[in-house]
Amino acid sequence: MSIAVKVPAVGESINEVTIAQWLKSDGDYVEMDEVICELESDKATFELNAEASGVLKIKAKEGETLEVGALICQIDENGDAADSEGEEKPEAKKSGQDDKTQPEDNGKQDGGASKTGEVIEMSVPAVGESITEVTISSWLKKDGDFVDLDEVIAEIESDKATFELTAEASGFLSILAEEGKTLEIGSPVCKIEVAEESSKKDSGGVSEKDQSASGSKSDNSTYATGHASPAAAKILKEKGISPDEVKGSGVDGRITKEDAMSAQKSDKKASDSKPAKTETNTSEGSAPEQSASDRSQRREKMSNLRKTIARRLVSVKNETAMLTTFNEVNMQPVMELRKKYKDTFKDKYEVGLGFMSFFTKAVCMALHEFPAVNAMIDQDEIVFNDYCDVSIAVSTDRGLVVPVIRNAEKLGFHQIEKEIVRLATKAKNNRLSIDEMSGGTFTITNGGIFGSMLSTPIINAPQSAILGMHNIVERPVVENGEVVVRPIMYLALSYDHRIIDGKESVSFLVRVKSLLEDPARLLLGV
Amino acid sequence: MKYDVVVIGSGPGGYVAAIRCAQLGLKTAIVEKYPVLGGTCLNVGCIPSKALLDSSEHFHNAQNHFKEHGINLSKLSVDIKQMIERKRGVVKQTVDGVQYLMKKNKIDVHTGLGSFKDKHTLVIKGGKEEKTIESDKFIIATGSKPSDLPFAKPDKERIITSTEALELVEVPKHLIIIGAGYIGMELGSVYGRLGSKVTVVEFMDRITPGMDKTMSKELQKVLKKLGFDFNLKHKVTGVERKGDEVVVTAEDDKGEKKEFKGNYCLLSIGRKPYTEGLNLEAAGLSTDERGKIEVDDNLKTKVDNIYAIGDVVRGAMLAHKAEEEGIFVAETMAGQKPHINYKLIPGVIYTWPEVASVGYTEEELKEDGRKYKSGSFPFKASGRARASMDTDGLVKVLADKETDEILGVHIIGPRAADMIAEAVVAMEFRASAEDVARMSHAHPTFTESIKEACLAATENRALHI
Repeated sequence: MSIAVKVPAVGESINEVTIAQWLKSDGDYVEMDEVICELESDKATFELNAEASGVLKIKAKEGETLEVGALICQIDENGDAADSEGEEKPEAKKSGQDDKTQPEDNGKQDGGASKTGEVIEMSVPAVGESITEVTISSWLKKDGDFVDLDEVIAEIESDKATFELTAEASGFLSILAEEGKTLEIGSPVCKIEVAEESSKKDSGGVSEKDQSASGSKSDNSTYATGHASPAAAKILKEKGISPDEVKGSGVDGRITKEDAMSAQKSDKKASDSKPAKTETNTSEGSAPEQSASDRSQRREKMSNLRKTIARRLVSVKNETAMLTTFNEVNMQPVMELRKKYKDTFKDKYEVGLGFMSFFTKAVCMALHEFPAVNAMIDQDEIVFNDYCDVSIAVSTDRGLVVPVIRNAEKLGFHQIEKEIVRLATKAKNNRLSIDEMSGGTFTITNGGIFGSMLSTPIINAPQSAILGMHNIVERPVVENGEVVVRPIMYLALSYDHRIIDGKESVSFLVRVKSLLEDPARLLLGV
Repeated sequence: MKYDVVVIGSGPGGYVAAIRCAQLGLKTAIVEKYPVLGGTCLNVGCIPSKALLDSSEHFHNAQNHFKEHGINLSKLSVDIKQMIERKRGVVKQTVDGVQYLMKKNKIDVHTGLGSFKDKHTLVIKGGKEEKTIESDKFIIATGSKPSDLPFAKPDKERIITSTEALELVEVPKHLIIIGAGYIGMELGSVYGRLGSKVTVVEFMDRITPGMDKTMSKELQKVLKKLGFDFNLKHKVTGVERKGDEVVVTAEDDKGEKKEFKGNYCLLSIGRKPYTEGLNLEAAGLSTDERGKIEVDDNLKTKVDNIYAIGDVVRGAMLAHKAEEEGIFVAETMAGQKPHINYKLIPGVIYTWPEVASVGYTEEELKEDGRKYKSGSFPFKASGRARASMDTDGLVKVLADKETDEILGVHIIGPRAADMIAEAVVAMEFRASAEDVARMSHAHPTFTESIKEACLAATENRALHI
C-alpha cells in the first residue's frame, strides 16, 4: 500500500508552502518519522517527517510552491518487508522498487519490463463548468495492472453525467483513490509507472496476464473470458455497458445472454446483492415467509444525481425567501384551439400540439413584462435576462433533470414542441449533455401528468421562480352569474421574495392565466 | 401515402428487412420492379440453381452410382423441359411464400421501378399506374446483376449469363465457362452431370479464388473427375458467336493464343451492383467507381434517412449477408444496437461435394503472420460418407497456436453447406478446437468429421485416421 503525504497545515493563515530542499531522493527507502524534506512558508521553515516506512516517490520538486493539502510525495509501504537492505543504496533501490510495485503478481519478475522510472500522476480532470467534485464509480483496472495509453481505466460520476478516465501513459497502475470516493477536481486519482508494453510481453508469465487484460478479472481467465455471445453483445451495447464491466458466468467467463440481461451499470451491482441476501436470511427463519418478507428492508447507495438533487433542494429552501402564489385557469379555450388544429398542426410540423407550447409561450410573454421573475441574484447584484431560457422538468429513472429550451421567446409553437420531444427523449435515454442542462432562467414543471391537483414547487436555483402545472379537472365555476362546468387547472408560482415582490409575482401569474384563457392574446401580444 | 420505411428491392435482403421493420411496428412498404417478389436469389439465383443442381445430381447418381448400390436402370434419360418445369414450380412456391409473408406482416407491396424524386419521395413507374409514395426512411436493397466483358456482351441465346443458364431448353454439347467462381462451378456442374462437355477458362491461377487454397485444389480435383477441362491463367480476349457456335479466344500466361469452340458460352465473371433507374442523384446519393453505394458502419448512406444493404454495398455478395444487414438496419432504425460479425458469414459453393467455409483462410493467417495450427480429416475415413459413397473431400480446422481458438473452418464434402453452421456457432462463442472436439457428435454422421478435424487440430489426436 502506498501512502500519500500531503502538505500539512503548518499554522494559521499559512495556505501555501515552498519546497526548500529534499533530504531524500526519489526511490529512497525512508524510515517512519525520518525527516525527508524541508518546507518554507512566508513565516518559517518546517521539517517534513515520513508518515510511514517505505520507498519514497517524490511528487513535487524543489522550489515548487504548494497549497496546504497538496500532494508532496508518496511512500510505498511494501518496500518495508521486501527490501531491508535497499535503503539509500541507489543500486539496490531500482530492483527493490520494481519488486514492490507488484507484490501480488509473482508471475511478474520484471525480467524484461523496462520501466522508465518516470511516474505520471493523474488527477481528476475538469469535466465541465460548475462541477467541482466527482465520485469514482468504478475502477476498470486493478491496482498493479498494466494499462495502455488512452485505455479507459475508471468511470467517474459527477452529479450530472458519467465520464471515462483514460490512462495518460502506458505502464503499471497504482490507485490512489478508491471506488466510491468523492474527489475535488484536480485531486490525484492514480499514478502510472511508465513502462514499455513490448518488453513486458516478452517475459512469459506476464504475457498471459496481458492477453486477458481486456476482459478478465479472475485468475484462471482465457482468451475467451469476457467474450459476449451475439445476443449478449447486443443487449450490453443497448444498455451502454462495456463487456469489461460484466463478469461472465459462461464457460471460461464467457458472457451469456442472462449475464447481459441482469447486468447493470456500475455501483448498482453492490446494491443488487443485498436484497438477495435478505431473502436467504428470511428463508432460514421459522416465521411465515409472507410476513418476514413484508418487513424486509433494502439499502441503496444514493446516486450522485440523487445526492445533488437533495442538497440543492434543501439549500434553496434554506437560502431563499420562497413562497407560492396560486391561481386557476379555465383550459377550455386552449383545449378547443388544440382540438381544432391538432391534426393540421401534426400534418404540417410532424409533432403533436401539446399544452406545453401554450404555457411556454404564455410564460415567455409574461416574463418579458415582469423581468424580475426572469432575474436571478448574484451576490449583491440582480442579473436581469432579456432572453427566456425555459427549463423543463423531466422525470427520468435516475431522478429529475431539467433540460433547457433556449430563447423560447423566439420559438414558434412547433419549435417548442419539437425541442421538448427532443430533450425529453434524450433525458429518458440518459443522453443529455451538461450544456443542455445548464443555464435556464425560469422553470416549468408539470406535476399534472402524475395527477397532482396542487403543489408548491421548489425553485430551480439560481433561478427565482418556477411555474407548477397541475391536472385538468372539470369543476363548477361561475360565469356571468351562472354555474357552469369548465376544465380547470390550478397553477402555482413559487418565487424568491428577495427579488420578486408579491405584486409582481401575482400579476405575473394572472397574466399567464389571462393569456391562456384567451390564446388570441398570445398572437396579438395584448 | 406516407410510410415509416420503404424498402426498394424484394430480394432476401429487402424482404427480410421489411419483415423485421414491420415486426418492430414500423409502417412498411416494399417496392419491386418485377411482377414477382424474391429478387435474384429466389428467381434467378440461389433457389433455382439448387433445384437444377439437385435434379442433375440425381441423374448423375442414377447414371454412375446406382449400379454399385445394386439398382439397375435401363433407358435412363434426361427430360430437361421437365427439369426446368420443376424448377419453376419450386421458384413459384418460394415466391408465393414471400408474397404471403408480406401480407401476414401487413407490408404494402408496390410493383414498379422505384425512382427517387427527393430523399423522402419515391416515384413508382411501370406498374398499373404511376404512384408517388413518401417515407421517413428508405432501405435500398436493389442487389446486383451479372457482370459482362467489354468484348463479350451476352446475346442471351448462346452467350449467356447465369439467368439464362437456368432456363436452357437443351443440354449444351459443349459449354464454355468464362470465370471459375462459384456460379460457374455450380452451373458447370449442372450441365456437366447432364452430359455437357465443360471447358473452364479462368484468368487466375486457381479456381474459386478467395476460398482456402486446399478447398480450391480439392474442388478442382473433384470437378476434373466430372470431366471439366480447366484452363487456368488464361486471359479471354474475345467471345464471338458464329451461327450456333461460340468461339472463345484466350491467351495463356506465356502469351500463346488459344481458341475454344463450344455451342454455349456462360459468362460467370462476377456480379455488379444494380442501381439503374433509382435516380440516386435526386436523393443526394451517388455510387462509387464500382457502382456500389457507400455506407457507414451502420449501413447508412451519406443521406441521413437512407440506408443500403446487400449486393449494392461493400462486402460479399451473399443472400445471407444481405439478410443479416436487413435485420441490422431495421433494428438500428428502431433504436436497437445490433451487430454483424462479417468475418463469421459463411461462404458456400453448391457443387457436389459442397464447399463451405467460415473465418480465416490459411492464406490470410499466413499473411497476417498469425501463429496457427491446422487439423484435417478426410471424408474417406468417415463411416457415414462411405455408406453414402460421398468420400470426396475433407474438413480443415485452423486454430490459434497458443489459445487453440478456432480461426477458420473449411469443408469440402457432403452437406458442407449445412455443416458449416456448427463452425459458425462455435466461432461466435469463440470456442477452441478442443471445445468442439469434446462435444458429442451423433454417430454416424458427416459432422463427426468436424469433430475429428478439431481433434486433429488440438493435439493431432484424431481417432479414426
